[in-house]
Amino acid sequence: MRRETQNILLVLLGGALLKISFTGTYLRYVKPSHKWLLIAGGTVMVVLAAVSIIREIRGARAHAAGHDHGHGARSAWLLVLPVLAVFLVGPAALGADSVERASGNATAKPSTEGAGSELFPPLPAGDPVALPLNDFSARAAWDKGHSLDNRRARLTGFIVHEGGDTYVARLAISCCAADAFPVKIKLLDRQLSNLPDDSWVEADVTLRPGSATRATEYVPSVTTHTVRRIDQPEDPYEH
Amino acid sequence: MTEPATAAAVGPSEEDPGPRRRRVTSLEVLCGLLVLALVGQQWIADQLDVPAIQTGATVFVAVCVQALPFLVVGVLISGAIAAFVSADLLRKVLPRRAALAVPVAGIAGVALPNCECAAIPVARRLIQQDVPASVAVTFLLAAPAVNPIVLVATAVAFPGEPRMVLARFLGSMMTAVVMGWVWARFGRMEWFAERALRRLPEPAGHRDRWGVFFETARQDLVDAGGFLVVGGLTAAVLNVVVPRSWVDTLGEQMLLGILVMAVLAVVLALCSEADAFVVASLSTMPLLPRLVFLVVGPAIDIKLFALQAGTLGRRFAVRFAPMTFAVAILSAVVVGIVLLP
Repeated sequence: MRRETQNILLVLLGGALLKISFTGTYLRYVKPSHKWLLIAGGTVMVVLAAVSIIREIRGARAHAAGHDHGHGARSAWLLVLPVLAVFLVGPAALGADSVERASGNATAKPSTEGAGSELFPPLPAGDPVALPLNDFSARAAWDKGHSLDNRRARLTGFIVHEGGDTYVARLAISCCAADAFPVKIKLLDRQLSNLPDDSWVEADVTLRPGSATRATEYVPSVTTHTVRRIDQPEDPYEH
Repeated sequence: MTEPATAAAVGPSEEDPGPRRRRVTSLEVLCGLLVLALVGQQWIADQLDVPAIQTGATVFVAVCVQALPFLVVGVLISGAIAAFVSADLLRKVLPRRAALAVPVAGIAGVALPNCECAAIPVARRLIQQDVPASVAVTFLLAAPAVNPIVLVATAVAFPGEPRMVLARFLGSMMTAVVMGWVWARFGRMEWFAERALRRLPEPAGHRDRWGVFFETARQDLVDAGGFLVVGGLTAAVLNVVVPRSWVDTLGEQMLLGILVMAVLAVVLALCSEADAFVVASLSTMPLLPRLVFLVVGPAIDIKLFALQAGTLGRRFAVRFAPMTFAVAILSAVVVGIVLLP
């Protein structure tokens, strides 16, 4: 591949990183704190390509042009793929499909068992209290202090239909979407078949105590009070 | 996937330009590709409108987007070594005997916080600057696995299990040092690709040094970037195809658990900052198989294999990768049996 072509590809790739950082779509792929890494990385790519283009134009490397490459850089063609993926397709955030691929909730069990509810700080005030699904699911399974019993919680997630059941679900990521793990909560007492998979909702619910056990793969069931459709939040994942 | 195939078919024409006939240049091919993609945008989007493919596409972009900034850091370090650190200087700093230089390289890995993708261009540059290959592979394995960022992430993921952090550190360090010693004894230079070893001319003046820096960094980025894409594609396919529910059925079976976790570390290709959080969530599994996952993952996975084959040579990668896999499992098991009763 010619140097000019490589440089154009680098500009496009760096541009792709910058584009997703500025439009906010990077949140579909990585955690929020990666933003500055992406901007720095994209900028360096564009600068490297620009320096090469400028030197090319000045003819500074006329003497060096003979000895390196001419081959070996065929793999560089593959850089077209992420460029096209970002600019033309812009894959959506992970959703119901990822939830259906996993079996249950792999909510981390607090590793010092026996410490009881000390591991879970008291819930903030508020009725309903807004909680991440991850937190809700962990408390439902492991909190010996039963902080969720008789409390109304407000959960934000998307709808997943599995078998005859409806769940509200969300994916939690620790670095990028490749390590996402799903958290889902079974919604009872409401007919929700009119909501298609992946529609985002805000649900006010109350935990059915003792529903998140090994037998249910730690998926809690909840009594559903209200379900309201909302737009997809800016950050589709929990962390 | 058809684009690169057609592109590769056109590529060789540039290596050996015909004497008279004018050939299609890669620039024209690229422009053609981009126009085609623009025109066919709707068609492409329709083809991708299958849930499994969409999930795969998101994972693919995520792996690339997450790893590229770290790769950029790696090529900048690599460029700096090529331009500003002479082979003489490296020879002076490192102990002469490989047996001693290998542990030194392991310690150097602690000091240079590096993601695994960044370590590969740096290791190649070290080999080019006449550093023994055994020292370079030790650095390659140690840098992503034992640096402070990774250890802190592990401590956060396993609260109340400080032994896990120590076990991870020792297991990874042991893998790196043992591989270095094994390579010093049995490794052969001809396994490296010829282009990986080609020396750069010593830069002449100050201006020229900056030229070497920019050119090396740019070239490394283009080379390694392509292979990162291969790794990202593979990881995306496996992420969709291999069900994580595998893990749940294992429960308490120790031996099977160790093997499955080792394979999973290879196919999932997680970054070493994140893998601790993933295994921490597998709460039904004993600590030892989870330690195996943490030691194997940063040492070798599918994305690293693609990068190694591309940057250092296929003959190197097919020998080095399986060997690393075995040594990493053994190191983790030994450390785990001692530290995690």
